[in-house]
Order: sequence, then structure tokens, then C-alpha cells
Amino acid sequence: MDKMYVLLMGFLSVVIVNNFVFTRFLGTCPYIGVSGRIDTAFGMGLAVTFVTTLSGVLTWLIDFYILKPFGLEITNYICYIVVIAGAVQLVEMYVRKFFPSLYDSFGIFLPLISTNCVILGVCLLINVFWLTDNLPEAAVLSAGAGIGFTLAICIMAGIREDLDLADVPQSLKGAPITLITAGLLTLAFMGFAGMIKQ
Amino acid sequence: MMFVLANQIGIWTHAANAGITLVVLGFFFAIVLLIASEKLKVQRDVRIEKVLAALPGANCGACGFAGCQNYAEAVVANPILLGKCAPGGLATLEKIAQTLNLQISESGPPQRPVVFCRARTADKIFCAKYEGIPTCLSANALPNAQACKFGCLGFSDCTRACRFDSIHIIDGLATVNYDRCTGCGACARACPRNIIKMVPFSYENMMTVACSNKETGKVTRSMCSVGCIACGLCTKQSDLFIIKDNLAQINFEAYQPSAQAEVAMNKCPTGVIVYRGKTAPPPRPPAEKTIAAKA
Repeated sequence: MDKMYVLLMGFLSVVIVNNFVFTRFLGTCPYIGVSGRIDTAFGMGLAVTFVTTLSGVLTWLIDFYILKPFGLEITNYICYIVVIAGAVQLVEMYVRKFFPSLYDSFGIFLPLISTNCVILGVCLLINVFWLTDNLPEAAVLSAGAGIGFTLAICIMAGIREDLDLADVPQSLKGAPITLITAGLLTLAFMGFAGMIKQ
Repeated sequence: MMFVLANQIGIWTHAANAGITLVVLGFFFAIVLLIASEKLKVQRDVRIEKVLAALPGANCGACGFAGCQNYAEAVVANPILLGKCAPGGLATLEKIAQTLNLQISESGPPQRPVVFCRARTADKIFCAKYEGIPTCLSANALPNAQACKFGCLGFSDCTRACRFDSIHIIDGLATVNYDRCTGCGACARACPRNIIKMVPFSYENMMTVACSNKETGKVTRSMCSVGCIACGLCTKQSDLFIIKDNLAQINFEAYQPSAQAEVAMNKCPTGVIVYRGKTAPPPRPPAEKTIAAKA
């Protein structure tokens, strides 16, 4: 029961309080780039969630059972990158085969997931900074990071769909108003800080 | 000396471990991806890429498809769709035809948009001031803030639709820059009042009756100082004009410039017959009589 509580708190923390986009400012490239429409944004969020979960779990396994016992922590970056690139390739092939229209709307941002800092951030935080010592925790944290990203990008897409109809001053049209929106959204989410005591 | 040696050996043993780990990891992913690429193979026609490279890449939608990619796929699958790319023009058409191994048949004159309205803000009559969402689409949904139900609203829906920066609102009237226009027709589709129409430009400048008002002459005059009042003066001068739906119209398929048409243009009491095109002269102001009638 206590363990479940820890997992639940960890999940909530990584989704809302320590959201990767809003508090760590990771993954802002697709967050701005693919948040034009809600359905595309949701698809992007799902793709990122899949990749974070898969690569989070795999890198934890590699780190815990191979790198740490053999003292090879120094190669962790290169191992993580291999895992992430492999996972992204898998997702890309899958989406291309089964969701061609989604594949077209993603454009360059789908292969760019492999350089998405959310994913490397998740792998590094799980294995290096938080030193997670069991698999369920690693899985929950990495899935939570992806879900947090989906939440962020969907909120952003919803706001931007409404912004299309708003009377935005000429000088703020396009990128400026998007960045201002992102800033205000971040401020709102900063309000969650301190809800879960470390 | 010993320390350096021990350190060297340490480096080599660790390097071997690291190398083996990475090679194994790399092979594992290579095999997984190999299997996946076989299982999830998508067949793609190489010609699609070639056609896509020949297209302008503006994604304007003139062809009737969502973007250049979709058109490339469609035209490879169905060559009847050849020649729908207006912005690319003849050069693109030739390249696509070459890729698909096809012969091009003769095509008609290029299509260009014409705004069938000539009322600038000073010529229009307003019943109320519109302060809603500044798009033609929403302004058109309201009963008339602008008296004329057929005239240009001037909220830039066409400007936003244009991918080539070639239509602008000048003094409350959509004005086409024919030097830049590629004839994609995005503005004609965007206009909620359908007053922008695609016209075959068989000459550089085309004479047009720049009005869409289908009301009777008296009602038209109460709405706008430069509307067509269907007086029929032009039809008496030249066969080019016909009166239909209380509106003088030109059959563009059979368009021929003539001296009689010039006379008709100069006799038009409201000056609604104007030239449109690359080197079109500016429209003359409406005759004195009409201005007096307005007052």
C-alpha cells in the first residue's frame, strides 16, 4: 500500500507539479511546433508517451543490469541515445504504416522526437539524478513524463485553436502570442510547486 | 611508470567492456528494426517524390487537394488530374508530364481572379458600424451593416487566403496585384460573397463590369454610388455586354476588345465598366449625374 502511494505521488508529481514542459522547459520544440490543432497535438503526445515509456524502461534495465555492475556509467549517454533512436524508428514505421494522415501532419517532428530533450531528460533523471532503484517506479515516472507532455501540448493546442479567432494585435500575431501564451501557461503550472513535499 | 602502466591496462579492460556492451546493444536494435522494417513496410512510388519536387510547394490548394504532397500522390495515381497546378504553370506541367511519360495537349488562357466590385470606402453607403470579429465571413453573417449585400466587405479574407501576397484591401476594396498573382483561386474560394471570380485572361487587360449587385437600378443607386444600375447603355453600344439579373455582364469566353466596347465604357453613367489586369488604367470617376443623384 505504501509502495502504491509512492508510485501515485510520483506519477502526479511528474505529470502536474514537475511537468517536464512547464517546469523544466524541455521539449518546447514540438510543444510550439505541433500544437496547431488538438488532434495532431494529441497524436504527437501519444507518440512521445510511447517513446518515453519504452526508452525509460529499457534504459533503466540497461543502466541497472549492465552499466552499473560493470562500472560503465560513463557510456550512459551513448547507450540512451541508441535506445531512443531505435524506439523512435519503431514508432515512425508504425505510424507510417497505420496512420498515414497523422504521419503527414507530423512532418519533420516525428523523426525529431529522437532529439526531443524530454526523452533524454527522462532517461537521465531516472537513472542519474533521481537514482530510481526499482522498475515499477522507473516505468511510472517515464510514462508520467510522456503523459505530462501530452497534457501540456493539448492545453496549448486548445488555446491556440481559440486564438485563431481572437483579435490579436498585428505586431503579436503568430509566434509572439504563442510564446506569451506558453509563458502564462507556465506561470499557472508553477502554482502547483510545493503541493507535494519532497 | 607502474602507475601509468596500470592505468593503461585499466583503460583497455574498461574500453573492451564498453565496446562489447555497445556492439551488443547496437546489434540488438539493428535486428529489432530490421524485423520491424520488414513487417511494417510501406510501398511508395518513386515518381511521387519526383512530382513533388517539380511542384511549387506553396500548398495553396488550387488543385483541389489539401497540399502539394496530396496532389502529387493523386496525379501519379490518376493522370487525368494533370495540369491542375495553377501556380506552377506550364513549366511544372511539363516536368510532371515528363515524369509520368505523358504528352501535353493544348490548354486555354490562364485563369485570373477578378473582383466584381469597384466601391471604395468613399463610394459605399453604410447603415451601421460593424464592430464584430474582423473577417468577411462573420461580417457577411450579419444583416447589412454595409448597405450593399453584394459589395466587397474589405475584411481581408482573400488577403489571408492568398499564399502569394497578391491581393490586398486598398481603401476598403480587394485589389489584385496581377504581377504576382498565379491564378490559384484561393481568394475566389475564400470570398463569402462570391464576388471574386476566376476569369480566363485571353488578353493582358480584360474589360469587366465590376459590380455584382442584382437589385434593380433604383435600389442599387440607394446603396452605392458606383454600382451597375442595368440601364442598358452599354448593350446599345457593343454586343459584348448583356443584361442579366439587373446586371450588365460580359461573356469572357468570347471576349474581344473593340472600339465600341471602349465607347460603352466611357458612356457608362456610374463608371462601373473598368479594365482589370497587369497594365490596367485606373477606373474613371463616376459621371457627375450619379453623384448628384446620390446627394
